[in-house]
Amino acid sequence: MSATGQRFAVQHRTEYRYGRAMSDGYTVAHLLPRATPWQVVESTVLELDPVADEQAEHIDAFGNRVMRIGIHRPHDHLVVTARSVVRVDVPAPLAAGSQPTWEQVAAAVHDARDDLACEVGPFAARTPSTPALPEVVELCAGVVVPGRPIGEVVQALSRRIFSDFAFDAEFSDVSTPLADVLRARRGVCQDFAHLMLACLRAHGLAARYVSGYIETEPPPGQPKLAGSDASHAWCGVWAPGIGWFDVDPTNDQMPPRRHVTCAWGRDYTDVAPVRGVVIGPAAAQSLSVGVDVTALADGAVAPSDFR
Amino acid sequence: MPSYDRVGDAVVTPSELQYTPDASRFDEAVAPDGSVRPAWRALGAAVGAAGPGELAERQRQADRMLDAEGAGHLVHDLTGGTSASRPWRLDPVPMVIEQAEFDLLARAVAQRTRLIEAVLADLYGDRLLVRSGMVPAAEVAATPALRMSAGLQRPARWLVQHAVDVVRIADGGWRVVADLTDSPAGLGYALLNRSIAARVMAEPLRAAGTAPVVAAPAMLRRALAALAPAGRVDTRTVVLSGGPEHPSYVEHSYLAVQMGLHLAEGADLVMRQDRLWLRALGGLEPIDVVYRRLDDGGLDPLEPRAQGVHGVPAITWAAQRGGVVLGNAFGTGLAEASAVQARLGALAEAVLGEALLLQPFAGEALATTPVFDASTGLAPGRVVLRLNAVAGPDGVWVMPGGAGRVLADGDHPAAPTAERTKDVWVVGGARAGRGSIGPAPQVTAPQQVDFGASVPKRAADALYWMGRAAERAEVAARAARVVGGQVEQDPFLVTLAAGGWATGAVALLRSAQGAPHISDPLDGAPLAEVLQRELAATRATVATQVSALVQEARSVREYLSTTTGRVLGRLARVVSDLVRTDAAVDDLDLILVDLAALAGLATESTVRGPAWRFLDLGRRIERGIALLGSVEAAVGQAVDPLAFQPLIEAVLAANESLVAYRRRYRSDVELHAVVDLLVRDDVNPRGLAFQLDRLREHLASLAWPEGAALVEQAMRATFTDVDDVVVHGRRLAVDGLVLAARGPLLQLDAAVVARWFADPVNPMIMGGR
Repeated sequence: MSATGQRFAVQHRTEYRYGRAMSDGYTVAHLLPRATPWQVVESTVLELDPVADEQAEHIDAFGNRVMRIGIHRPHDHLVVTARSVVRVDVPAPLAAGSQPTWEQVAAAVHDARDDLACEVGPFAARTPSTPALPEVVELCAGVVVPGRPIGEVVQALSRRIFSDFAFDAEFSDVSTPLADVLRARRGVCQDFAHLMLACLRAHGLAARYVSGYIETEPPPGQPKLAGSDASHAWCGVWAPGIGWFDVDPTNDQMPPRRHVTCAWGRDYTDVAPVRGVVIGPAAAQSLSVGVDVTALADGAVAPSDFR
Repeated sequence: MPSYDRVGDAVVTPSELQYTPDASRFDEAVAPDGSVRPAWRALGAAVGAAGPGELAERQRQADRMLDAEGAGHLVHDLTGGTSASRPWRLDPVPMVIEQAEFDLLARAVAQRTRLIEAVLADLYGDRLLVRSGMVPAAEVAATPALRMSAGLQRPARWLVQHAVDVVRIADGGWRVVADLTDSPAGLGYALLNRSIAARVMAEPLRAAGTAPVVAAPAMLRRALAALAPAGRVDTRTVVLSGGPEHPSYVEHSYLAVQMGLHLAEGADLVMRQDRLWLRALGGLEPIDVVYRRLDDGGLDPLEPRAQGVHGVPAITWAAQRGGVVLGNAFGTGLAEASAVQARLGALAEAVLGEALLLQPFAGEALATTPVFDASTGLAPGRVVLRLNAVAGPDGVWVMPGGAGRVLADGDHPAAPTAERTKDVWVVGGARAGRGSIGPAPQVTAPQQVDFGASVPKRAADALYWMGRAAERAEVAARAARVVGGQVEQDPFLVTLAAGGWATGAVALLRSAQGAPHISDPLDGAPLAEVLQRELAATRATVATQVSALVQEARSVREYLSTTTGRVLGRLARVVSDLVRTDAAVDDLDLILVDLAALAGLATESTVRGPAWRFLDLGRRIERGIALLGSVEAAVGQAVDPLAFQPLIEAVLAANESLVAYRRRYRSDVELHAVVDLLVRDDVNPRGLAFQLDRLREHLASLAWPEGAALVEQAMRATFTDVDDVVVHGRRLAVDGLVLAARGPLLQLDAAVVARWFADPVNPMIMGGR
C-alpha cells in the first residue's frame, strides 16, 4: 500500500484565549489520526503551548487515539496543534452485482455475535444525536425501498440529503438538535452526517460517525469541497461481505476521495476534536480553529509555511 | 423466640387502633381474619393507647426535629425556595416488617446487588453478554447511561451501595419498582428518620424488638475504605456532594457526619498527576477513595454529555489510572437503563445460575398500611419502600430498615409526589442488630485523618463568613434592641436636646447595619419617622445576616455540633417571624439568646483547630469593625450634654459593656472612661483590644506574619489620645482613632480572603471544532 494512494499533510490548530489566568486546565483531544486498512499514518505530533504538566494517550472503546492533557499552573491561553502526514488509498467503488439488500444487512447487524457484535452493534444505536424521528423516516421514503441493495440505498440517501439540504456554516453549532436541522433544511457536515446515521439506524443498519479532514485546496480544475476550513465529518456503513465503506453526504461522494480519517464513534460526542474544562476566574474567552490539508507528492515533506 | 411475645397479653384490636383496613387487599397491620398481625402488636398497643391526639403531637415533634436536622430546607424556604429540596415529613407510625419477611427481601436485594455487579463488570469489560447476543449491543450503546470511558476503569467493585425500591401488592407478594445503582439516595434519610423515630416513638420501637440500623454508617465507611488502591497507607475517603443546592444535600451532609468523613464539593477537589487532591488550608492533601454522591452525568464535566459544572474535571481520569477509587464506580447508572432492567430475569439465570427472587412491578394493585394524618387519623395508605445494600469486603449487607415513601392518590410507585415518609421497622428478629444477609455489622471503622487539623479551603471560607455573619447579626440585634428599648421606655428621648439623642441613635443603628457613616442621617425628615425606619432596617439586617449565617453553616455541618444545628434551625424560624412583626423586642431577645448560645457552642464545643480559628477570626474581625463603627456613630458626634448620657449608655449597651462600665466607674458616663473601656481595655471581651489579642493568637497559630503586622498596626492606633476638641460637631480625636484602627482591620479582612480562600474555582467548558 505504501506505493499507492495520495499523501496529505494535515494541520489542525485550536487556540483558546481565556482573558485571565486559569489555575488548571484539562483537555481531551481526538486529533491524532488512526491507522485504517486504507490509511497509513506516516507521522503525527501534538504540540502544546504552554507545555503540559501531564499528558497521556490511550485508545478509546472505538479504537481511536485520545490524548489527555493537564496544565496545572497559571495560563491564559492554550494552543493545541496537531500535525500529521498520512497516505490514503481511495477504496474502489462498491461492486454493483454482489451487494446484499439493506434488509439482509439489517438482519446481519441484528444477528451479529461475538466480536462482530461488539464491532458493529454499537453503531446501530439510536443515540440522542441520531434519533429515529418521524421526519427521518419520511426523508427515507422512496429511497429505502424493499429489496434494494445496500450500496444503492446509501448512495441515494446521500444524494437526497445533498440535494434537499443547504450547507450553511452559520446555521448550526455542535449542539443543534437534528429536529432543527430537519425543519430548516440546512446545516453543516456534522448535521448531515448525523442525519445520514439517523436514516440508516432507523432501518436497523450499523453506521458510524467519521471525524476527519478534507483537502483544503483541490487539485487544479476541481471545485473546493465544503467543510475544508475546519474538521469534517462523514459516515461509514457496515455490510456483511463488504465490511465498512464510507460516504460523505455533505459532498455526495461515495467513496470519499480527498478525505483523511481521524477518528470514529457513534456520533459527534464520541469524537469531538477538542473538549476542555478550565478552572479559574470568570472571564471572556475566545476560540479560534484553523485546519489546513495539503496534498503532498511522494517523497515531499510538508511545506515550509505549514506552521 | 420472636420478641413481640414480650408484650404478652397486650393484643390490640383494629377498633382500638381506630383503623379500618381495605378488606380487599393485604394490609400490613390487620390480617384477613380481622386481628392485628403479630408484628404490629407492640406498635399497635402504643398507637391504640396514644390515640389520634397524641399521635398528632408526635407528628409535630417529628416535624420540629426534621426542621432542625434539615436546616437546609429552611434555607430554601427563606431564600425564595426551589422545588429541588422539599422538606419531608415523617409519619409517626412506622411501616413494620417481620424479620422473616425482611430476610426474604434482603436475600432478593443482595441477589440483585451481586447480579448487577457482575453485569456491570461484563458490560464495561469483556462484554460476553453482548457477544452472546443476550444484551443487544445497539440497545446498550443507545442509552446515555452507558459511559464509554467507564470501561477504562478496573475497579475491585463497581457497586458499593445499591438501593432497591419495592412495593407489596394486594395479594401480599412483593415487587421491585426500581434498582438505584448510580449514586442512590436513601440510606442517610433512613438513618435520619430512625433518629427521630427513636425519640418520638421510643417505647414501641423498643417494645417491638426493632432491629437497630446504627451499624450502617460504619458498614458503608468500611466498604469504602476497602476500595483504597493497594499499597496506600492511612487512606483517606471523602464524601463528594453537589453542595447545598443538591436535592439530597441533607443526606450527604448527614452521612458525612455519621461516617466522620469530610464533605467535599467539586471545587474542593482537584485532579493532578493522576491523583485526586483536597484543597486544604495547608495545601493539597491526597485522597484515596471518593464516596461520590454526584450522578454519572454530573461527576466529571469533561465527559461527553456531562451536565453542569458541579463535578471534578478529570476525576474519571484519575479513577481510570488507579489514582483514586470511586464508590460507586463511574458508569454504574447503566444498570438502571431498560437495556439491563428489562432482562434481569434472564441475566440472573445466565450470570448467577439463579432464578430472580423478586419480579418487577407490573402495575398490580398495592397492599395497604396504616398511614397517620392529623385530620383523619389512621387510614390505609400505599407505600413504596427503599431498601439499602452495602457491598463490602465481607459481602453484601442489607440494612434492616429503610425509608418508606407514602404514595399520593394516583401516584405511580416509581414517582411518589407526597412528602410523607415512614421509618421502616424490622421486628421479631432473634438476632437484633443483624441484617439477615451477609456479614455481621461492624461498628468499628478504620482510622481517619484528624478533622481538627485538615480543613478544606472552602470550609474555612464558609466558617469565616459564618463567624462574621453571626457577629453582625448580634450587633444589629443588640443595637435594635437597645435603641428600641430606650424609645419604648422614654418616648421623649426622640425630641430630647433638639434631636441630639435621636441623631446619634440613628447613626448607631446605621452603623449596626454596616451602612456607611453619613454626617447628617436625619436629612431634615421627621425624627420619629427616621428612627422607626432605621429600626426596621436594622431588624432586616438581623434577618439577612441570620440567613447568611444559616446558609454558610449548611456547607460545614461536619464541623458543627448537633446542638448547633438545632440552634440554627430555631434562629431561622424566629427570623422569619422578625421580618413580619413590628413589636419585635421579644423576638430580638430570643435571637440574642440563640446567638449567644451559638457563640457559646463555638467556644465550648468546638475543637481548637484551624476550623475553629477561622470561625473565630471572622467573629473577632467583625466585632472589631462593628465596635469602631458604633464609636464613630455615637461617640464621635458631639451632642448636647442632655443627650450625651442616654446616647453613650446606648453605645455601651449596644456593645454589651454598660454593666461593666457602671460597676467599674460608678459615675455618670465620661468620655475618656468610655473610650478606655470600649477600645483599650484588654479584659473587656466586647472591647477592641480584646478582639485584637484574640486575632494576634490566631495569626500566630497560622504563622502568618503579614496578617499579624496589620493587627499590631490596629493595636497601636488604640493608644491615640482622645481629647475634647470638636470641629463641625465631630470629636476629631475619636474620628482619628476610629479611622486609624479600622483601616488595618479592613485590610486584614481582605488579606484573609486573598491569602487563605481566594482559590478561583469556576470550571468552564471549552468546546472545539
